[in-house]
Amino acid sequence: MLSEVKQNGKLNEKRRVLALPELTPPRTVRLKFCKVGTLQYISHLDLQRTFNRIINRACLPVWYTKGFNPHIKLVFSTPLSVGAQSVCEYLDIRIDREMSCEEIKDRLNAEMTSEFYITEAYLPSSDFSEIAWASYDISITTGGASAELAAKAEKLLTTSPLMMIKKGKAGEKEVDIVKMIHSLTATFDESTGNVNIKATVRASSTEYLNPEFLITALKSNLSILGGDPKKEYYSIMRTVTLKEDMTEFR
Amino acid sequence: MNENISSILKAVSKPGRYSGGEYGQIIKDKEKVKARFAFCFPDTYEIGMSNLGVRILYGVLNNEDDVWCERVYTPWVDMQEEMKKHGIPLTACESGDPLTAFDMIGFTLQYEMSYTNVLNMLDLAGLPLRSCDRDDSMPIIIGGGPCAYNPEPVADFFDLFNIGEGEEMLPELCRLYIKMKEEGSYTKEAYLHEAARSIEGIYVPSFYEVSYNEDGTIKAYTPKYDDIPTSIKKRIMTDMDKSYFPDKVVMPYIETVHDRIMLEVFRGCIRGCRFCQAGIIYRPVREKSPEVLNSQARCLFESTGYDEISLTSLSISDYTQLEELTDMLLEWTDENMVSLSLPSLRVDSFTKELMDKIASVRSSSLTFAPEAGSQRLRDVINKNVTEEDLLRAVNVAFEAGKNMVKLYFMQGLPTETYEDIEGIAILASHVIDAYYKCPTRNKAKKPQVTISVACFIPKPFTPFQWEAQDTLEMLAEKQEFLGSKITDRKIKFNHHDAKVSRIEAVLARGDRRLSDALELACREGFKFDAWDEYFDYDKWISVLERTGADPAFYANRAFGLDEVLPWDIIDCGVTKEFLRRERDKAYAENTTPNCREKCSGCGANRLGGERTCCPKLSKTEN
Repeated sequence: MLSEVKQNGKLNEKRRVLALPELTPPRTVRLKFCKVGTLQYISHLDLQRTFNRIINRACLPVWYTKGFNPHIKLVFSTPLSVGAQSVCEYLDIRIDREMSCEEIKDRLNAEMTSEFYITEAYLPSSDFSEIAWASYDISITTGGASAELAAKAEKLLTTSPLMMIKKGKAGEKEVDIVKMIHSLTATFDESTGNVNIKATVRASSTEYLNPEFLITALKSNLSILGGDPKKEYYSIMRTVTLKEDMTEFR
Repeated sequence: MNENISSILKAVSKPGRYSGGEYGQIIKDKEKVKARFAFCFPDTYEIGMSNLGVRILYGVLNNEDDVWCERVYTPWVDMQEEMKKHGIPLTACESGDPLTAFDMIGFTLQYEMSYTNVLNMLDLAGLPLRSCDRDDSMPIIIGGGPCAYNPEPVADFFDLFNIGEGEEMLPELCRLYIKMKEEGSYTKEAYLHEAARSIEGIYVPSFYEVSYNEDGTIKAYTPKYDDIPTSIKKRIMTDMDKSYFPDKVVMPYIETVHDRIMLEVFRGCIRGCRFCQAGIIYRPVREKSPEVLNSQARCLFESTGYDEISLTSLSISDYTQLEELTDMLLEWTDENMVSLSLPSLRVDSFTKELMDKIASVRSSSLTFAPEAGSQRLRDVINKNVTEEDLLRAVNVAFEAGKNMVKLYFMQGLPTETYEDIEGIAILASHVIDAYYKCPTRNKAKKPQVTISVACFIPKPFTPFQWEAQDTLEMLAEKQEFLGSKITDRKIKFNHHDAKVSRIEAVLARGDRRLSDALELACREGFKFDAWDEYFDYDKWISVLERTGADPAFYANRAFGLDEVLPWDIIDCGVTKEFLRRERDKAYAENTTPNCREKCSGCGANRLGGERTCCPKLSKTEN
């Protein structure tokens, strides 16, 4: 019966990997990944735990923190809120054995799904703190969608002041969200009947605009998305993160 | 059938419970499968995903090429409100299809307080609650798990029950279903009859008529057909080394209760504590060999990437080859940063060597279960541990620098006196004393002892199945008394809600007449009764009273030793004569040696089994 338990040889593989030349100090490898579809409902904290397991399954030679409770060091870029998808998430891992970025990417993807996968692995030359802006594609399916509604939405979200309550660590404060928007356009797509918004907004660690705020502003000012939730819905996709000078973050 | 419910998912708490899409989920072509099975766990996703039985049976069923088994959990209250408001039926995780699209729906019955969730889920699925109201076009509703050993309170809602271990029974049920559908001979009645007649362990409650005596006790169970069993014998997997083992599991994204590898080391328990149902119904003890376990653990590590392995079995330290197993595991777990944990430890087996191997004891707190405060009462319940054992165990912990100990007890046990209860407080203070007497203790820290006291609930298939539960007043008085005996602030005292325990006792020993109460409870919106915030005792008493059921009849009455018990229709392997002998020994304050020391002739050995400690010869008569 022993033979029927399918070992896939990963333990041996892990041993082989650990016998590779050691890297001192450990090398940081940046992973760019997609988190779309059902993965939009998975929180940042859950993502960390999930990556730990994926890294284990992929037999990556990751570096462990020293100390009483050694763990894998994972550093994520700007968190994505639950309910938003993204094709441009970043995670830095550290390895302490020689392995090419391409191999790291392939190994990880073998353990991931079509909604959650690595698009790039490379040696980073920038710091996550350089992320200043993020662009989003927002698609809204709602009753009354029209070119007029799109125009109204664009006007609302680009006319200062648009004050909203932001909850932070120091309590609630009122902010003008328009000041946190770099650019925003809203259009009506006749083929789908959706209102589509493209927006580039603040995404730095000190100043961050949750794209949900745009939806909240539209809901309360234009009375949309309030009908049957099976017929009225929206999606948010983070498409790119940018540096202060509006060049793409890498 | 998949509607866009993204707006709803964005509005509810923990949407990851409902979104599916996990790594490891099994997707099949529904046009090609011949039977679709919805495996329901009647509690939240986080609890259900942690259940080893579900992991096993999900794998077993999906091993059949033409069967597709999917998972279903109880949506949390906020999600249920949205579903009701917008006419969204209960759906399965994998396909998102409503439960009415399935051929079979299985519920695992792990605890009595989940019964209202079962009905709640049927209701959310849009299915009639009662078996008699569901026609040939509707799914077959199947129940199994530990509570199926007395399925009577929910008998009217289920089409059939699996008694015992389901690894073979469930595929057999699917095969029969597919065969009869293909032959064109399928009707619900014909299918249930054929299953009851030809598949061992199948109980079809509607095929048995129950008659009652004038005093409300049961007179007899009368089978409707003469070719179905008069007593349903439980099924077991005889050889655990050869029993199906899931080599991969569905990996939850959101954190679940037991988010780790669960390595089932053996089934059954050699101990025979007289209050414990699990210790009887999972007999005989059947071990896996350490080589097989090591191989299965490696396989699961490779397929899941989990960094913790929990050795799960009742009283794990009774495994005959624990040292061999942990040594084999440690050969590869350490280098892969995988830690080992044990769910429960007996004080008489807790050693420094074991502690050093196990990560869960690296935390500052350790848990032991003496169950009763005095040696007399520990003898009555056949716990077979002494105060000396406990003090030795805590000393090992204190010497290693630990300062916190949790102790589990039970109150309201048969023959209990106030002296026994005071014994709990005394035992706790002795643990505190042991800390200060330990020369190598962590002198920077104060000791802390937490005592958790549960209420005794008489359970079917235990030597205490006939006993009356203490009344609420008695339980409250005893809790108050114990509280008054604990004066040391280093001792923390928690106790269970006696009201929950009383309803649990009603359902545990209930009969078919409780179905009216459960149906009314469902109609009145009862759900998540295992959750303190949703349990409402007064409402429970109200539905029981309004349907003519007396809670005291089930909970607080000493059942007659010659009475026909609601669960007498089930044969769990252990004989009623053995339970009766154990009850007599309890009252005589005599203990029974464990199965490994001496066979006491419980009867479970007639079920067979490899790597058991049962003698081969049948010794059911003493």
